[in-house]
Amino acid sequence: MSKALEWYPIYLREMLLFRRKLFKLGYLFSAMVIPIIYLVAFGLGLGRSVQTGRGAYLDYLIPGLVAMSSMSNSYAWVASALNLNRLYFKTFQLFVQAPIRPSSIMVGEVLAGMTKGLFASFLTIVAGFVISTHFTVTPLFVATLLLNCFLFACLGIITGMLSKSHEDTATYSNFFILPMSFFSGTFFPVDKAPLLIKSIIYIMPLTHTNILIRKTSLDQEGLLSLVVLLVYAVVFFLYGSQLIKKYNE
Amino acid sequence: MIRVIDLTKTYNGIKAVDAVTFTLERGEVFGLLGPNGAGKTTMIKMLTALAKPDGGSCTVAGFDVRRNGPELKKIMGVMPQENNLDRELTAHENLLIYGMLHRVDSLRVRICETLDMVGLSERKDSVVSHFSGGMQRRLLLARALMTRPAVLFLDEPSIGLDPQIRRQMWDIIRKAKLDGRTVIMTTHYIEEAEALCDRVAILSKGKLIALDSPDNLKARIGEYVVEHVDEEGRLMQQICPSREEAQIGASLCENNVTIRKSNLEDVFIKLTGERLE
Repeated sequence: MSKALEWYPIYLREMLLFRRKLFKLGYLFSAMVIPIIYLVAFGLGLGRSVQTGRGAYLDYLIPGLVAMSSMSNSYAWVASALNLNRLYFKTFQLFVQAPIRPSSIMVGEVLAGMTKGLFASFLTIVAGFVISTHFTVTPLFVATLLLNCFLFACLGIITGMLSKSHEDTATYSNFFILPMSFFSGTFFPVDKAPLLIKSIIYIMPLTHTNILIRKTSLDQEGLLSLVVLLVYAVVFFLYGSQLIKKYNE
Repeated sequence: MIRVIDLTKTYNGIKAVDAVTFTLERGEVFGLLGPNGAGKTTMIKMLTALAKPDGGSCTVAGFDVRRNGPELKKIMGVMPQENNLDRELTAHENLLIYGMLHRVDSLRVRICETLDMVGLSERKDSVVSHFSGGMQRRLLLARALMTRPAVLFLDEPSIGLDPQIRRQMWDIIRKAKLDGRTVIMTTHYIEEAEALCDRVAILSKGKLIALDSPDNLKARIGEYVVEHVDEEGRLMQQICPSREEAQIGASLCENNVTIRKSNLEDVFIKLTGERLE
């Protein structure tokens, strides 16, 4: 196996484990349940009275739910698995003791997280096609989805490496991921928010994913969001790789 | 092969390993002996690139462990104390991933040979969580040997195993020595250290307190031990340099007297005043 494919055994391991989980009813249900609940509660329930100024609320909501689903699944799977593998199962130590570069460990884990995030997103997209006749998937939508999965899988690595216990992972999630789900333009437009809150909202990467994923072509606003997401992705990737490189028990 | 000089590691202000120095020759089986908390596992972690030393230096086959380079990792096989097999994967899948990480040639063939070596070929497609504890330890040892490493690190290889499986493990370790591999192992089983190790380092509270062959260590304290139970039920021991002196010592005791050869536990107790647990 060439040096460029050093990441592959790490990815393969995660996929072998994922394949076993995939055929369990509980996994499929848990991956689908949150987006479906939001679709029903917000899209078909509360959403009837929400005006977005951008057409039907359901058509506004579905791309946001795809973004949210890709974020939470890419992040949570990586953060949780890495934390458990490092602190409890000690399987992460096998990678550290293997003759491969830390960045290869990072790539393998991130690609695995992306795959899991994309799988959950796919389920939401299918639900979107069933519920809405106007929902479409453009090349920009797919590119944004991939970038979002990459970015949050990298963040999952950072959390998984920094957490000192499994409870820590949940704490990070409650502080960063949960607020981002609700206040980054997933359920309602954020451009009319008060300036102070708006400035906080625009720091969050998911806000820019939500902007970009709803566009059909790349305009100036979209380009700015793309740049912000790319910067986040690069910073998170480099920081995650550095944490793996400096691993010390 | 391995050169350790003043190696030190501190956790929360407590020295887990305190300025330990020793060297190992190629093909030697070297034991780190000591009770829980003596610093054995920390030593292995530093030698295998999992923990960075706070002081001192260490080279394995000329490679500095602080540099944590791939050259070092290519020549070492590690069997950790804690089971880090993927329990939801099969034995074959566990070895496949490990072999790919270490870029083993002719991997499929090597996996079959490795499973044969530890008698697990029939169970290659079984999920590891269905294995007994002994089978999982055997698979861990097989995985460490799969890359045919020049240096083998074994952290408590036979912990929790029944005597029959333990002796199977010992045969595999002896074969590794015959194949020219250098083996460094931790154990707190006296008979394991005596059966396998060319030399033994005794650790207590992170410090190296003695290092020699098992026979020399025993000779250093006296080769015979007189044991008897006193009136309050306590086991009393007297170490004697010769059998004659032991017999004289035994004749002074009233009942329940035995004379036996000294072992490494006697060495440990004599040197530290503690017992191995």
